[in-house]
Amino acid sequence: MADLIRLEQISKNFGGIHALKDVSLQVREGEILGLIGPNGAGKTTLFNILTGLYTPSSGNIEFRHTSMLGMKPHQVLKQGIARTFQNIRLFANMTALENVMVGRHARTHAGVMGAVLRSAATRAEEAAIGVRAHELLEWVGISGHARALAKHLSYGDQRRLEIARALATDPQVLALDEPAAGMNSGERDTLKQLIRRMRDQLGLTVLVIEHDVKLMMSLCERIAVLDFGELIAQGTPEEIRHDPRVIAAYLGGGAK
Amino acid sequence: MLRSKRRAWLTFIALGVMLAVLPFVVDFGLGRSWVRIMDLALLYVMLALGLNIVVGYAGLLDLGYIAFYAVGAYCYALLSSPQFGLHLPFWAVLPIGAAVAGLFGVLLGAPTLRLRGDYLAIVTLGFGEIIRIFLNNLNAPVNITNGPQGINQIDPVSLMGVSLGKSHELFGISLSSPHQYYYLFLVLTLLVVFVSMRLQNSRIGRAWAAIREDEVAAEAMGINVRNIKLLAFAMGATFGGLAGGLFAGFQGFISPESFNLMESIMILCMIVLGGMGNIPGVILGALLLTVLPEALRYTGDMQRAWLGHVVVDPSDLRMLLFGMALILVMLFRPAGLLPSRQRKRELVAEDEIAAQEQASVYDARH
Repeated sequence: MADLIRLEQISKNFGGIHALKDVSLQVREGEILGLIGPNGAGKTTLFNILTGLYTPSSGNIEFRHTSMLGMKPHQVLKQGIARTFQNIRLFANMTALENVMVGRHARTHAGVMGAVLRSAATRAEEAAIGVRAHELLEWVGISGHARALAKHLSYGDQRRLEIARALATDPQVLALDEPAAGMNSGERDTLKQLIRRMRDQLGLTVLVIEHDVKLMMSLCERIAVLDFGELIAQGTPEEIRHDPRVIAAYLGGGAK
Repeated sequence: MLRSKRRAWLTFIALGVMLAVLPFVVDFGLGRSWVRIMDLALLYVMLALGLNIVVGYAGLLDLGYIAFYAVGAYCYALLSSPQFGLHLPFWAVLPIGAAVAGLFGVLLGAPTLRLRGDYLAIVTLGFGEIIRIFLNNLNAPVNITNGPQGINQIDPVSLMGVSLGKSHELFGISLSSPHQYYYLFLVLTLLVVFVSMRLQNSRIGRAWAAIREDEVAAEAMGINVRNIKLLAFAMGATFGGLAGGLFAGFQGFISPESFNLMESIMILCMIVLGGMGNIPGVILGALLLTVLPEALRYTGDMQRAWLGHVVVDPSDLRMLLFGMALILVMLFRPAGLLPSRQRKRELVAEDEIAAQEQASVYDARH
């Protein structure tokens, strides 16, 4: 499998704090790659760098062999990398459907003139946005709540809505930041199936940050482990399970 | 289906006829000065709808909005008055004024892109004042704006050779100048309403709503936040400039005094009072806040008639009632008199949830 994303020696400093130190990681096309590590290990920072929210202090990111350094989040998205957020960031006072429709923004074109004159092209585009948004809500299993405001959905449904919104952007890579947080075990199973389906049916490459190690072991093909901003291990779940540095990091023996 | 369509048409026609005869009714019942007040009210409706795009749709708190009204008004005044001896036709001046105001919207919006909430409000407030102070001082070394004296003898609006500054006979009906302005303003107000409505339910409108809700998420969903914000500033400013140009032609005289901070706040109040983000609400707010203060002028005469002298100055009373109205609205209808469907939906849904929780508490107890 070809490398889709290459992170080369990424470092990120906030003041004197090294959130990430020389992290090099390759993401292969079509894999489900897990990112685990204790709190504050730099997982979300890595996502933020990947999606253009932060610029790395040093290092390089390539997506399909072109550098993404200096790209704004909306440009990164246009390249095909979409994400969800650790602390859900939906458009709270918009309906579930509208949330997903916003996701189509980058792939549609109507401007002020189109909106005001409502030309045939704009009407067709709007109709297509609506159809697609409904499909995606159906796909993640919350089509019954299309008209509900995002903030009134249950926690698990909000997480799924965030995924639907991200899918609406036609991504090639989907970065999920703690998608199972706050879900019960039943919801976690559905989520696991949903992530598998995204990879198998939509051909997505999926990156997942999650604390639930059991879920990660059964979901991911490869796992990368961060600790104190450093990549301490990467490999198959089986390899990770037996890696002494990972065990030390998780059991606290390796605290420096 | 067919019946509801017919009903919609009937409502539409009835509303049209009502709006068409309204100035005559008002003229007959309350006098010519009230027709002028209606003209001004329509200008404020345009202004409020323009600010509504910036504040209501995109959620950018702009306290310097009146600056764009000023830019539009001064553009009109400079291009068709004896100030420079230019007398360009109305159909050219009005779009120029609106376009220049739109450009100013982008220019003043650009430095504020990284600011949010209170900080944005403070900076836009400053910009608004800067424009006014510029207009006040651009009479030296080269006299452009005539400074605090303002610009006089601005050409009245003239359409196809018909000057709206004079009375005209039409089908045997005498139309005074305020009547004619009323119809012009009405048509343009309807245009602004139409554009606002279309924008709200569009890809652009959704993008504005998204950045209002969560800028970071909006950007991560592929919205070019910078451009979309500038577009909101530009659209709002264009409407402001349009209203400004009409104001200049209508009044025949403008000075920097008309464009002070109080006016910006007034327009913001119209939106807040009426229902931010909701077009009928904004229109209602604008109409109320222009008509009520004028109506309060009568209280001076009433006080003189009943009490022999004026106890409370009507203009003081205006501010008092105004403040009270705002407090009452904030307390009892926090989303405005006519809240947007979205906000109403929020409130209803919350009530439902509250009811459910009440019910479960009840179940638990019994």
